[in-house]
Amino acid sequence: MNAVHPRVAFRLILFLFAVCPAVASTARAEAPTPPPYYAITNVRVVSGTGAVMEGATVLLAEGIIEGVGVGLSVPSDAWVIDGAGLSVYPGLIDGLTSLGLKADDEGSGRGRGGGDDEAPPIRGPEDRPQTTPWLRAADELVVDDKFGKWRKAGFTSAVSSPSQGIFAGQAALINLVDGEPDAMIVSAAAAHRLNFRGGSRRSFPGSLMGVLAYIKQVLEDTNHYVAVNADYARDPNGRVRPEFDRTLEPLARALDQGTPFMMPAQLGRHVDRAITLGQQYELRGIVVGAHGAYDRADALKTAGFGAVVSLNWPEPAKNRDPELDTPLRTLIHRRLAVSTPAALAAAGVPFAFYSDGLSGPNEVFKAIRKAVEAGLTDAQALTALTSGAAELFGVGEQLGTVEKGKIANLVLASDWPWAEDVEVAAVFVDGRRYAERKDDEPTEAPAADVSGSWKLTMQSPRGEREMTAELEMSEDGKVKGNIESQQGTTALEDGRMSGDLLRFKTTREFGGRSRTASWSLTLDGESIAGTMNAGPMSMDVSGSRSAAPSDDESDETTDQEAPVVSLDELRAAGPQIQGKVRAMGTFAVTNASVWTLAGPVIENGTVVVRNGKIQAVGRDVSIPDGAEVIDAQGGALIPGIIDCHSHMAIEGGVNEGSLNVTAMVGIGDVVNPDDIGIYRALAGGVTSANLLHGSANPIGGRNQIIKLRWGMGAEDMKFSGAPLGIKFALGENPKRSNWRSSDIPDRYPQTRMGVMDVIRQAFTEAREYQREWASYKKGAKRGGVKLAPPRRDLKLEALVEILDGERLVHSHCYRADEILQLMRLADEFGFTVGTLQHVLEGYKVADEIAAHGAGASTFSDWWGYKVEAYEAIPYNAALMSERGVVVSINSDSAEEVRHLNQEAGKCVKWGGMDEVEALKLVTLNPARQLGIDNRVGSLEVGKDADMVIYDGHPLEIASVVQKTFVDGDLYFDRETDTARQAFLEELKTKMNGPEEKKEDGGAANTETPSKPSPEVRWADEIYTCREAH
Amino acid sequence: MRTTRALILLLIVLAPSAVRSEMLAIVGGTVHPVSGDAFVGTVVVDAGRITEVGPEVSVPAGARSIDAAGMHVYPGLMDAASQVGMVEVGAVAATDDRQEMGSYNTHLEATTAIHPSSELIPVARANGITHVLAVPQPSRDGVIGGRGALLNLDGWTVEEMTVRNSVVMAMSWPEIQTRQFDFSTFSWKESAFEDAKEEATEKQNELRDWFEAARHYKQAMGTKVVRAQSDLRLEYLARCIDGDMLAMVSANNKRDIEAVMDFAQEQNLKLVLVGGREAWKVAARLAEESVPVILGPTQTLPRDEDAPYFHPYALPSLLVEAGVKIAFGSGAQRSSPHSARLLPYEVATAVANGLSEEAAIKALTLWPAEILGVADEVGSIEPGKVANLLVTTGSPLVMVTEIRHLIIGGREVSTDNMHLSLYQKYRGRP
Repeated sequence: MNAVHPRVAFRLILFLFAVCPAVASTARAEAPTPPPYYAITNVRVVSGTGAVMEGATVLLAEGIIEGVGVGLSVPSDAWVIDGAGLSVYPGLIDGLTSLGLKADDEGSGRGRGGGDDEAPPIRGPEDRPQTTPWLRAADELVVDDKFGKWRKAGFTSAVSSPSQGIFAGQAALINLVDGEPDAMIVSAAAAHRLNFRGGSRRSFPGSLMGVLAYIKQVLEDTNHYVAVNADYARDPNGRVRPEFDRTLEPLARALDQGTPFMMPAQLGRHVDRAITLGQQYELRGIVVGAHGAYDRADALKTAGFGAVVSLNWPEPAKNRDPELDTPLRTLIHRRLAVSTPAALAAAGVPFAFYSDGLSGPNEVFKAIRKAVEAGLTDAQALTALTSGAAELFGVGEQLGTVEKGKIANLVLASDWPWAEDVEVAAVFVDGRRYAERKDDEPTEAPAADVSGSWKLTMQSPRGEREMTAELEMSEDGKVKGNIESQQGTTALEDGRMSGDLLRFKTTREFGGRSRTASWSLTLDGESIAGTMNAGPMSMDVSGSRSAAPSDDESDETTDQEAPVVSLDELRAAGPQIQGKVRAMGTFAVTNASVWTLAGPVIENGTVVVRNGKIQAVGRDVSIPDGAEVIDAQGGALIPGIIDCHSHMAIEGGVNEGSLNVTAMVGIGDVVNPDDIGIYRALAGGVTSANLLHGSANPIGGRNQIIKLRWGMGAEDMKFSGAPLGIKFALGENPKRSNWRSSDIPDRYPQTRMGVMDVIRQAFTEAREYQREWASYKKGAKRGGVKLAPPRRDLKLEALVEILDGERLVHSHCYRADEILQLMRLADEFGFTVGTLQHVLEGYKVADEIAAHGAGASTFSDWWGYKVEAYEAIPYNAALMSERGVVVSINSDSAEEVRHLNQEAGKCVKWGGMDEVEALKLVTLNPARQLGIDNRVGSLEVGKDADMVIYDGHPLEIASVVQKTFVDGDLYFDRETDTARQAFLEELKTKMNGPEEKKEDGGAANTETPSKPSPEVRWADEIYTCREAH
Repeated sequence: MRTTRALILLLIVLAPSAVRSEMLAIVGGTVHPVSGDAFVGTVVVDAGRITEVGPEVSVPAGARSIDAAGMHVYPGLMDAASQVGMVEVGAVAATDDRQEMGSYNTHLEATTAIHPSSELIPVARANGITHVLAVPQPSRDGVIGGRGALLNLDGWTVEEMTVRNSVVMAMSWPEIQTRQFDFSTFSWKESAFEDAKEEATEKQNELRDWFEAARHYKQAMGTKVVRAQSDLRLEYLARCIDGDMLAMVSANNKRDIEAVMDFAQEQNLKLVLVGGREAWKVAARLAEESVPVILGPTQTLPRDEDAPYFHPYALPSLLVEAGVKIAFGSGAQRSSPHSARLLPYEVATAVANGLSEEAAIKALTLWPAEILGVADEVGSIEPGKVANLLVTTGSPLVMVTEIRHLIIGGREVSTDNMHLSLYQKYRGRP
């Protein structure tokens, strides 16, 4: 029994090593009990309310601020601290951390599907994947040796939160005190934390849209849970009691009490998405990250949202391929991100900061100074770090300012706590004083300057380790800098030169713990020698100076040179890179072959546009006074092209392929308005697109039709009033014929039989659900009281909409037989298939398709990439049209979408289609198929002015798009594109100059963020159903 | 009964030409010899080759006349890096012979992968592709794919199709790849530059070792006393040294293209660059060192979001303006043999973005022949060349142009193909 397994022993050693500082704090508890009464006199008070008092007194009693004011009498039992030359600030709050939580207590693996490969697969939302809203940080707190480091810098409180899972759990607001965990807690339910990351592709939810649909379902369930329980509480007798649900219980309480929900939102579009979700379910929202909130401040204000802004500002990745381009939008984002706090403050959005993985207060303060440089005032920064954070998390009454009655969390310092050369004299948490230790102070003036580059060699147990140090000493002997070794770069802490003795500390994260090492080195001219002590270990260090003290100014001048382009200039650049070319008033396009598609081509025709609508079309049309005239110079004017099958502008995965029916997910939740593919498609004359879920499952997700309003947000791109739709998929993709992987378990179905069965089962279930709601709507009552409505099931709801003829099915299909089967199944359930997508063998059953009334949306000429595409022919569109099917040609590709006019032209070549009919394949016909032909698809009076000007025949390859209008505004112009390009290049060169300087090894490279800076993704990778998926 | 007849018809239609060779005279069309100015006249074909061309040429006795009045006569188009005939269905490995395992497959021949009755062949030629440079693809992480051959897209056997074997050694330059597609997350991942560079350098040095070994092998085998064991791989590679066989190397990024050019100089290889997405950045050097480029389809996306939206469309014109000789291959970027028929439209897209029509036609005919050292066989309408000809209603770059007569290897070949047959069959569905 006494034998200890070697591995256990090793762990034990590690453990002991790791908890050393904790042992020390226990030891400190044997020191005399600190007094409960303090008086800080002669001090400047920066209360955090806006008031500043000089020569004031702050009285603390038993953890509470007893009084603040000038001329207060000092109680005789108070320990008096002379605050002359110092200021009192409210203690700082880190808005999101895992302080006080053990790494393995953060909730990973709790809740099903949380990376546990052994667990049975998730069957749907009912299995509550990665969901632990009951998990409270407050219940998991432990003594944390990291507190000291943060406290010393002036942080007195932090929000500590479970971090893993979609519903991660509840954050606590804690005071950074040593001692019993329960004593730390100020609020045990400061916020719920949501994450928008799915588990993996193998397990639901495996996409962003899956996560969002899941969150909605859980919130729906919560509302239902509340209603059902209320129902039951009113009249329990003789009724089955509602089952207790530990997921819904805490959420119901949060919704009731208005507990905020933290939602990740890094870029502007993410902020929009969080707001949309929050508003739909009336959540009190706090966006986390918020680097892109610089142009969303007003939206946050209007929505009543708060923000917790990450101080881990975006930076270029280290050791990145120098030939890989960085998009201008990313360069601009990096610069503007730091202006987010100023923008939020100006708009009056309550916000806090969080350290987001930065290794310590030094980095945090550096990041705050950057925000101040970008326009945030120090007073605003203080608010964000104190009362703003406190109010955001519902403890504003208790802390966040230096006012009578508040919790005594204070910093006594020579300057703003984040100022570069601040001296922190004392920190009070819950009225307890944590002072800087005096023995760290220099005893002597520095005997020599230690500044410069140093090469150091350390005698470690595993041999010699080489490292370099960059040191910079100020006149009073303070030393700053960093040490770089194979393990990375670490900043010096508390560096001081006293006589010829250099002492400093370094901290390194190790296995979720931070380890502090103390260095003591003696300087002798150009060499240095001494020891490094870390816990029980002591190692010899020696080295020599390799470069003289660098010119102090050089780094700073580089930094000052860097912003050649002002923030205002960058803000103004945004809409030029991403936005319409210009808004148009009333205008006329003249001298054009007008392909109205409502009749024959009008040669030398004119189209008049007013208020975004077509006002007149014809040869002899009078142009209203004052209307701008655009001469098409004999080119063609056609209706805007509509892509009936697109995967552009979708974020976080095109497939929720984990389950075989995912009708609850929707592309509408994940529209990405930042996808450069939108602009490129506009340059190809496309004005609307049907964004579809992928083809991984028999019943996929809901579609979203958009107009390509480049520059607008996701919600504003949506084609309002368009009929709802959903993606289905038949054949090889949903049965995963070409896509088996050992990583991913087999999923039913594996045959066409199974595919049809899945669909039939789903509709059978949907009919039951339909009946349940029908009977409720008829008015199910009990004792004269209306019962709670049935549970909303977002999956079945979409299927019922299909049965009710309110949602169009857009089904991926290839073979003639599966096409027929789906139409027969639709007949059986009483609906008509909206479109058959791809439908490459549609020509074999064209009569049947026409009889059923489905549209067909196909490729022009792709074939042979898989077995079901082997008998695809380029005559498909022509043949189906001939047989009376409404046919469109789609892209399913970010490239193909750029020349859909050519794809239509191929149907003139292969199948001899009439030219007007051919052009309808990419304009009027897709509009009809999508049910939006009352608005778009042809050039007729009253329709939206979505139009394209070509310089020649619109079906010919030689013709190039000159202008594209959406809603009567100019969104693409070949002429101004040249200017746009020049503008882009010029601005980029201007911005890249200093950027390159940095990457060549300037100051920026040595400031290693301990965590990679957040990735900026403007668009996802290109997806097409033609591939295996 | 009807089905049987249809089947028999189908077989006849899809079979290679029924005649082995005949004497033909194409009369009265506008002849575009490409090697010179267009004229209205006659082209005479005998025993598979062009024998006479000119405005005043008379029809020889015994020749079958093809009336081309009002029509145009072009040389057949060439797919200069192709896998037509090497794969039937992309997703079915059993039908796919494009890529062998192994990294240095100098000993493999494209012709041994060709399936002469592949349905892709009639589909490609129906739109004017009469000959291809068939090339094996290097394996996923491999460097040398094998040897490419010039093939006519007609023949009962691969021997009948083959115009010249071992025209090129197809290689893929070990590029510094810092962006790789990660299938587990279905997104691109960037890796550290230094690591990627080290990996690429290692592979490049390995390739260097192969050439050094081949050079030594060549020298050793040239001596009287041979102690060295014969090694097929080195023997074939040795043919690339001193320009005996073309080194056809794919590279896309600027630094990789430059590295390939340096390497070719160092090893004294005759280089043909394939891919060349960033070739415009090194156009001047390519022109100066007379390194030609075989480009892939133009209809692709710009790699960088800040690049002009039409950048890939304009690449051919940028190169031609700089004096670089170009050609096009359906397999020059990613293998897309099913779309080989679209090559003229890919080039027409370049015309809409600055390339001259003349250069476009050359890039589909004479230039690939010159680039690949087979201009004595194909590429223009000149006496002595293989008679690969199109009689059309207009320019092959225009979509609605129809091919009225297709002549490959001096034989008139049907433009029928599987797609047309299926169309006719189902159009006839009562």
